[in-house]
Amino acid sequence: MALSPSRSQLLKIATSLVPTYGFTRETLSRSVLELPKDKAHSEPLSENAVSSLFGSRDYAKKTLIEAWLSEGITQMASAPSPSLGHVLHARLSYNEPVLHYLPEVSCSSYKSDSVAEMKNILQAFALLASPERALPPLDPRPALKHVSRIADEASYISGDDSAQLSWYTRRASLATIYSAAELHQFTSPGTAHAFLDSLLTGSSALKQSVDEVQLFSSYVLQSWKGILRSKGIL
Amino acid sequence: MLSSFTGIQRFPRCINRRLLASFAYTKPSLANDPATHSTPLDITDEQRAALDSALRVDQAGEVAANWIYYGQHFILGKQPVTGPLIQEMWEQEKKHLAVMDKMQLQHRVRPTILMDFAKIGGFGLGAATALMGKEAAMACTEAVETVIGEHYDDQLKEMESLPSAHPSVPLLKEVVKEFRDDELEHLDIAVVNHAQRAPGHALLSTVIGAGCKVAIELCKRF
Repeated sequence: MALSPSRSQLLKIATSLVPTYGFTRETLSRSVLELPKDKAHSEPLSENAVSSLFGSRDYAKKTLIEAWLSEGITQMASAPSPSLGHVLHARLSYNEPVLHYLPEVSCSSYKSDSVAEMKNILQAFALLASPERALPPLDPRPALKHVSRIADEASYISGDDSAQLSWYTRRASLATIYSAAELHQFTSPGTAHAFLDSLLTGSSALKQSVDEVQLFSSYVLQSWKGILRSKGIL
Repeated sequence: MLSSFTGIQRFPRCINRRLLASFAYTKPSLANDPATHSTPLDITDEQRAALDSALRVDQAGEVAANWIYYGQHFILGKQPVTGPLIQEMWEQEKKHLAVMDKMQLQHRVRPTILMDFAKIGGFGLGAATALMGKEAAMACTEAVETVIGEHYDDQLKEMESLPSAHPSVPLLKEVVKEFRDDELEHLDIAVVNHAQRAPGHALLSTVIGAGCKVAIELCKRF
């Protein structure tokens, strides 16, 4: 007798159905239809079954969104190369199937069906940010957690060896870059990858400048130490 | 056993230095060895959180120890007897820190955000006790190494629950054992070099020991 599919198995299947059915309870209920033949159901799960497995109302949608985001983290490892740029581009590309109803959208004009589908993914993030209780009115933690996880995973895959406090600065910088690129993707998906490249280039140029200033400052400090020693002050 | 420096007694290291566990990190023989380049994935969330906080505290502790010796060396480094002794213990702590930095990256551990406080606090403590005299500096070493040695011992007991199937886990335990033994050796050196003759030794040890325990608890969380 085949074992019942696990909740995590159904969630994983549901994440692959998101591009088709969106972040909806329908996606969760249809996950049983995509199981292997010996376990597949002939009909989607009922509303009660979805609620008992994944939570009631919006909680089920949040569960699906979080599973989709976790799957995005896993997918980053399958980038064509472990370089930082490729890994972040792979993560941006993971968003694209959910934006696929959008044609080239300009900033000032939207098609009505494009607006509905773009709202799909924006609503996903809005749902994550909405609190379960009345206060605070907006919870920034899910968004921060989302970009922090991506920055940490990208650093790990690219073999970043920043230790101690530079571990934080590196990840904060990557999280900022990625979140700017992702926000750009929501309004202008066609130029998102180029925007990400420009941010990465700018960031590495800035880091190089900061490193050079630090090096020059250390030379100045050493020379002052030498002067003070020669005068007998040190 | 007396060293060539008059009055300094050292205890011989009863371990074959060629077999030190930390050599896996400082003198790696295998590229991409899973024992030094991967972390166990089949542990529970609680075990992961415990490993995370343990390595975070260990790294912070080695940073603080480095800066304590830096502060002591800043004041007493030119002394013909005490200076080289502090330098030798400091070199060992530098090696510990290099290994801890690699383990932090290997196990994907978040380092403590209190790193700069550990550096400033460590330097301040080392310099302040060194200004009180070499016995006080040794008393500081004695107090700190006592707490660190006990802390590593407690960690070894907690690590018993980690599954040993992954090659990094036995190596981690051996490294922690090695570092615990090194810290206890420093403790012995400090005692032999008149730590207990320091002015207000009991009060100094109590205050420093309590400060170390507070720092450990803060670094576990932050």
